[in-house]
Amino acid sequence: MLIFDQLKKNDTQLQLLAVVMFSGLAILLAGLWWIQIVRARDYQTSSETQSSRTVRLPAVRGKILDRNGVVLAENRANFNISVYLEDLSKSFKEEYQRVRPTNTVTIQPSFWKRWLGIKPTVVPRRLKAAESLPYEWQARFSVLDKVTRQLGSGLQIPNLTLDTNAFVRHFTNRLALPFPIVKGASIANVACFQESLAGNIAADLEIQSTRVYPYSNTAAHVLGYLKRDDNRSAFGEDALFNYRLPDYRGVVGIEGGLDTNLCGRAGTRSVVVNNRGYRQSESITTPAEAGHNVVLTLDVKIQREAEAALRRHASGHFGAVVVMEVETGDILALASAPASNPNYAITGFPGYPGGEYQSWTNAQAGLQKNRATFELYQPGSTFKTIIALAALENGLNPNEKVRVEPNPAEPNKGAIFVGREKIRDTASPGDYDLRRAIVKSSNSYFVDVGIRPGVFTRVVDLVERLHLDDLNGLPLRQESRGYFPTAERRRSSWGAGHIAHISIGQGEMNVTPMHMAVLTSALANGGKVLWPRLVSRLESQDPAVVVPPTVFPAGRVRDRLGVSQRSLQILREAMKEETEDNEGTGRHARVPGLRICGKTGTAERMERGQTRNTTWFISFAPYEAPARYAVVVMVEDGASGGASCAPVARDIYKKLFNLDQPAGSRTALTATR
Amino acid sequence: MNTLNLNDSAPRLDRLQIAAVVGLMCVSVAFVYSATHGIPWMASNWLRQMVWFAIGLTAAVGTCLINYHTLIRWAVVAYWVSILALVAVLIPGIGSMQGWGARRWIDLGPFSLQPSEFAKLGFILALANFLSRPTDELRLGINFWKPIGMLLLPFLLIMKEPDLGSALVLLPTGFAMMYVAGTPRKYLLRLLGLGGIVTALFIVDVLFVTNEKWRVPLHSYQRDRLLVYFGRDYTDFAPPNATREDLQRLRRKQMDDSLNVRQALISVGSGGLTGKGWGQGTQKSLGFLPRSVAHNDFIFSVIAEEKGFVGSVTVVTLYAVVLFTGLRIAGQARDRLGKVLAVGVVTLLFSHVFINIGMNIRLMPVTGVPLPLLSYGGSSVLGSLIAMGLLQNVHLNRKGY
Repeated sequence: MLIFDQLKKNDTQLQLLAVVMFSGLAILLAGLWWIQIVRARDYQTSSETQSSRTVRLPAVRGKILDRNGVVLAENRANFNISVYLEDLSKSFKEEYQRVRPTNTVTIQPSFWKRWLGIKPTVVPRRLKAAESLPYEWQARFSVLDKVTRQLGSGLQIPNLTLDTNAFVRHFTNRLALPFPIVKGASIANVACFQESLAGNIAADLEIQSTRVYPYSNTAAHVLGYLKRDDNRSAFGEDALFNYRLPDYRGVVGIEGGLDTNLCGRAGTRSVVVNNRGYRQSESITTPAEAGHNVVLTLDVKIQREAEAALRRHASGHFGAVVVMEVETGDILALASAPASNPNYAITGFPGYPGGEYQSWTNAQAGLQKNRATFELYQPGSTFKTIIALAALENGLNPNEKVRVEPNPAEPNKGAIFVGREKIRDTASPGDYDLRRAIVKSSNSYFVDVGIRPGVFTRVVDLVERLHLDDLNGLPLRQESRGYFPTAERRRSSWGAGHIAHISIGQGEMNVTPMHMAVLTSALANGGKVLWPRLVSRLESQDPAVVVPPTVFPAGRVRDRLGVSQRSLQILREAMKEETEDNEGTGRHARVPGLRICGKTGTAERMERGQTRNTTWFISFAPYEAPARYAVVVMVEDGASGGASCAPVARDIYKKLFNLDQPAGSRTALTATR
Repeated sequence: MNTLNLNDSAPRLDRLQIAAVVGLMCVSVAFVYSATHGIPWMASNWLRQMVWFAIGLTAAVGTCLINYHTLIRWAVVAYWVSILALVAVLIPGIGSMQGWGARRWIDLGPFSLQPSEFAKLGFILALANFLSRPTDELRLGINFWKPIGMLLLPFLLIMKEPDLGSALVLLPTGFAMMYVAGTPRKYLLRLLGLGGIVTALFIVDVLFVTNEKWRVPLHSYQRDRLLVYFGRDYTDFAPPNATREDLQRLRRKQMDDSLNVRQALISVGSGGLTGKGWGQGTQKSLGFLPRSVAHNDFIFSVIAEEKGFVGSVTVVTLYAVVLFTGLRIAGQARDRLGKVLAVGVVTLLFSHVFINIGMNIRLMPVTGVPLPLLSYGGSSVLGSLIAMGLLQNVHLNRKGY
């Protein structure tokens, strides 16, 4: 080095000194290199960590609409009037100086200043941290109290007070976020605030959205409900946040099943804070992406009628209704009674913890269970339609008469013996052909026919084609497979007795009303087993977005019954008679001006030693091709399918075909769609 | 020697050193401005710093005008005046705390002076004067102990303020001057050995002795700084009957005490290679690096954060230029007086730089040692520029002139 060369060669002292200084500076440079180059990333991270806070911004949840665009679930703006604490930090300091104890210390000026006549200065004694803490809180409370009173009088909210506990919690845990003073401000408050206070006071409006179900209980089980879950995190969003704003997670129903589509993607707001934790600036680093709107196939008019009809004719009973378009598989109504108001899951239940909340949490009360898709029932006599189809395909002559013997214990009712077991009948003894057996729902006839060789194999085949022991693919998170004896089960200890019970829709089998709707549609549409469709499309909330909506196709055929049209026609004919014949068990479903095909059913089950009924009415209309709607009604513990369920279906048909309107304006509902 | 004065065209002043000093002054103004951003310009620190630079440059020029052989006649006077000032600063009413808890300043109305900064110069002048006697005289024992005494007097007074850092820089300065002046090796080795033993005992005592009776009487904040530096837990020194709250309090105190060190490290480290840009440092603007120290003792953190490793290397290089040109001046000095004087100034400067930058990167414990010519502060600036003037004086009057 130039300077080294100029040091005299023999001056060992200076050379040693130079070496020492050189090494000293080298050590400093090495240290700097280590900290600023090697470990720079670590220190950059800690610098960011200590000075920035991330806030999770939940996205606007998508709406849920019915097929005509009627809103079933939406978001309502909820206004908070909040104060920014960093704007108040100066006031906190000033107020602290005012409220702190006034004991002081005197500072003597230096001697020459005293000589100039300068007086000693008196300043407040500096308090230790532990001493000053209560006064700091007192100062903050009094400042906040003043702001609160100012807001209260400006907004004409007379009893507005500061929740000190909430404030202490907020100050210690969420200092970088504004503190809400007025929660859930009314529109009048907001207008008043914007007009006179905004800008003059360290407060601002915060908008949060709250889920609202305008039709309250209607379609409650389809919609499902939300649960407060600030800690949720969706795929693709940041996982670590310092603060999370209120957010909700769908639990069941469409809210649960399509939660990922509805909830969108949360964004991130990054707040820069100073060493005291007060906010300095903020920026949105990732904007939230609003969720998609879900358009259902439901028709809210039909849905409401279905629910009303259930209440009207089966008041106090558990029950379910499914209305399905037989050609498209669209579900127009899916009712389950009883239902709870999903708004309560957000706003809280009235009369909590008693009232509706109690029955909501009580499994026995069954408010949360979707009986149309989740709960399993035996189909009872409605399953005779399948037996009839199987028998016809097996070569049964529909006009063949089967003699039903009277029940020895009850001579005016029929009965049949399978082995040693007696199966009772509600129909009278006598000669039955297929039509009469359907109309009067004769057990003996169908047991007789069902246990004939070859019939049951066809029943098994039809059950498989109908996918009764499978899921229907509805995004509800409350869906069950039906049950039908498996091939393995049918090999061991299986006999005519089992088949006899299945022939009248009892014994070892279970279905949901949704399965029965699929079955009924298949009978009506000429043998197509459809995927039921509940969601017609997902579309962006932003009308400006040109991305085409995700449309779920209608009328997706899942399978075919593989039976002849002749057999179907014979069955349809018999089912029409069931409602039109005066002896028919389904005669209560009759609607003037409409020909309805139906089949009633009553399954008996033993529950805690008691015999309880599951009553059914499956139907479709019109009888004349093309059939359009299938209506399946199930009522637990009804008197009978004909008495409890058929009138429900009748009311729904009136609504579907506009038959309660004056004759002139009658048009089929869906003609315009 | 050169009676014909053939070297007339050679620069009379050491221009390289002056360039480096001016460079450091520019950096200083820029980063004092950045570190004290937001103060109205009339009251601003960077403006005051410029005023001090002007005063300091005038003083430095003044120092150069008089041959150092003439100046040295006043060395003893300067020494005792500075000792007097060090005594005066300890008297309440004359010495002022400036809110720092240590009596280091003499309040002069519009500004205040830190006598220790001038005592360092007075000590260098007096010691150089003493050591410039013939080498043979330095072999006498009495002439070994006298400089030690000259060192201990200001050392103890500055310790009393207390200002450990300023006191400590006197030790290497005095030692280097004695070494260069030709004090016999055996004396120096003994001194080094003794110093080593005392230092070791001191550190062991501070770090590991928990019994009050056997502890060195240090100010609690000094002990705390050492504990922080060596990474000891405060809770180890808690009395055996300490409650859980006491321990909690001690831990919190440790966090508070280590705050500056931690935040300085984060500042330096987060600067990375090229820094966040001038005026863009977040550590001081958000208050993590306390505002009260950002522009003086921790100015290096601000530079390192805003200009990164590149900036740090630039600063260290500027100091290297000043130091090695200083050593060159010592080597070319006309006589032993000039050489010892130059070495004293260079060692003092080096000690400040090493301790201050070392403290910013946790190589050294935190002591209130300013970074010469960079840190904000009148006394430090004035003292440093006068010292530079002395160096140039020795250079002006080097061999052949």
